[in-house]
Amino acid sequence: MILSPYFYSQAIKLALSQIWANRKRSLLTALGIIVGVASTTSVIAALSGLKTSVLTEFESFGANRIYVFPDRPDDKPRNLYPREKIRIKPWEVRELQTSCPSLRAITPVTEFGVSIASDDRELEGITVVGIWPDWHEAENRRVIAGRKFNRIDESGERQVCLLNESAIDELRLPSDAVGSHILVDGRRFLVVGVVETLQARMFGGDANTAELFIPFSVAIKLQSTEYFLRVVALAKNAEVSEEAKAEIQRTMRRIRGIQPGDPDTFRAEAIDRYIDQFKSLAAGITAIAAGIVGISLLVGGIGIMNIMLVSVSERTREIGLRKAVGATPAAIMMQFLLEAMVLCLAGGLVGVIIGKLFAIGLTMIPGARLENADVPLWAVILSFVFSAAVGLGFGFFPALKASRLDPIEALRHE
Amino acid sequence: MIRVCQLQKTYRVGEEEIRALRGVDLQIGKNEMIAVMGASGSGKSTLMNIIGCLDKPTEGTYELNGQPVSQMSEASLALVRNEKIGFVFQSFELLARQTALENVELPLIYSRESGLTSRERTRRALHALDRVRLSDRVTHRPSQLSGGQKQRVAIARAILNNPAILMADEPTGNLDSVTTKEIMGIFKQLHSEGQTVLIVTHENDVAAYCQRVIRLRDGLVLSDLSIAQDQAGQVVK
Ligand SMILES: Nc1ncnc2c1ncn2[C@@H]1O[C@H](COP(=O)(O)OP(=O)(O)O)[C@@H](O)[C@H]1O
Ligand SMILES: [Mg+2]
Repeated sequence: MILSPYFYSQAIKLALSQIWANRKRSLLTALGIIVGVASTTSVIAALSGLKTSVLTEFESFGANRIYVFPDRPDDKPRNLYPREKIRIKPWEVRELQTSCPSLRAITPVTEFGVSIASDDRELEGITVVGIWPDWHEAENRRVIAGRKFNRIDESGERQVCLLNESAIDELRLPSDAVGSHILVDGRRFLVVGVVETLQARMFGGDANTAELFIPFSVAIKLQSTEYFLRVVALAKNAEVSEEAKAEIQRTMRRIRGIQPGDPDTFRAEAIDRYIDQFKSLAAGITAIAAGIVGISLLVGGIGIMNIMLVSVSERTREIGLRKAVGATPAAIMMQFLLEAMVLCLAGGLVGVIIGKLFAIGLTMIPGARLENADVPLWAVILSFVFSAAVGLGFGFFPALKASRLDPIEALRHE
Repeated sequence: MIRVCQLQKTYRVGEEEIRALRGVDLQIGKNEMIAVMGASGSGKSTLMNIIGCLDKPTEGTYELNGQPVSQMSEASLALVRNEKIGFVFQSFELLARQTALENVELPLIYSRESGLTSRERTRRALHALDRVRLSDRVTHRPSQLSGGQKQRVAIARAILNNPAILMADEPTGNLDSVTTKEIMGIFKQLHSEGQTVLIVTHENDVAAYCQRVIRLRDGLVLSDLSIAQDQAGQVVK
């Protein structure tokens, strides 16, 4: 039996008028669906906003950057891998520099805390970072005043330094600090440049932290011989970043004489690993949100079933009359299914609107990094598909009940 | 046109069997106007429901326009009700939130003619309302209509698809005598335009509009006479 387009238009019209006529009841009934859809779309909006800002940050952070750390294999006894054995040495970094053709820039980075002083301030426990001139390129940190480090600074072990604006503030140096002198661990250093302040980054430290950089060759002189360093390298471009990582791994194993089958005593990681980790975290949260929506849709669905049963019983005479004028069981069934679906879709629509408003609210929270929060189209479509499915699933039993009513009995119903 | 043979209907209520119809034979020709009378519980409504394809007989056969109806599926019966039967109820059965016009259009929702334009639907409904002389109450809702007007809307709905038979189970049961005359005038009018009409009533005044009177007693046909013979018999009693 084929139902005419007129039947469908009338059934939907009837469904809408039914919802409107019982609007309070409809609202309460659809609440489960509204809450479910609204909360899920909100979570998805927040996540998508977070994802966008984190990913763009990673981009600017450099997807082709590779970090190398010393690393003790987890499942081996500590005494087999003493600190001195796994510590990265400067000659190893130089070896990486010559043996890894896919690298554009590479620098060791060593950090230690000392006291520093200007003419009118002394600061304790400031982190000083020793770097090669390549650091500017590897970490993408330009200078906004003065000059960068150069080879002569490094090879001549010159007592020069770079600092950022926070450091200038804290040391009460003149705003044009280039050319001033400061004391680092009692030695006189010339300020040759000011590095631009880090943008506030999720994983990159804080703009308000004072930073002080000195040549690597000088930095190792100021520390004990067992100083610790890590390596920051930049692949020539994003396409060869995997290859660059492999080159680093091969070279490190070769120069450390690690036998095949033995574990690495270092770790080389590209930034996309963090991207993957973040993506899987986001996917996990999305899955949990989907689980929550599943539960609330189930609760909402039971409400829908209940109200549809009430509706069928309230409208028994109407069903009887419709049957008397020629409605088939299929037509009655379809009418009540459509009604349940329209009710659920209306709930879904309200939920999506609330989710959208919530997303707009999120974008306006200062500093929350959710400027890009929005309910993606797929989430909107999915919300409606889910809502319709709930209507179909939970509307089925009441609709079946309506379709099976005996017309005479129904017309006799009070 | 309508032929029922040895029609039986037995209701089962728990252990008890109620034999509402116990073998009714009946033939109705085209353009007859018939009253079905009888005491309460004599089986009038049961007979009407079966002839109106709202119910199926327990035993016996029913032919409508040569088509055996008794063993049809639910969906086919719905189609027969839609196209061949017009049913008028004692309590009107109008949809409260719809206008007179929308109430009359209702059977078209379930029609096989799926290609109807909304203009054609409206034209047909207006024509039906015109035939019951209610063209001036088209956009009124049931709550804004008198009892007689409501019943006229219901009649318009019943005749919308030009049914083979127009059936009414005590159509004037809820109406006063003036309104009863008005409604019976409409039935008479439709009959004069060629409509076959079957009316259940227990009022002789109503039966007087018909040409033939079938009297039931305890699920059997007691008498089946022309109006004149029937009225004469009543007088003798
Ligand atoms: N659904 C039913 N279940 C049981 N008994 C019924 C049912 N419908 C009608 N009856 C019985 O069948 C008999 C005939 O009823 P009905 O056809 O309604 O009579 P009428 O319309 O002439 O008053 C009555 O005894 C009634 O109680
Ligand atoms: Mg009756």
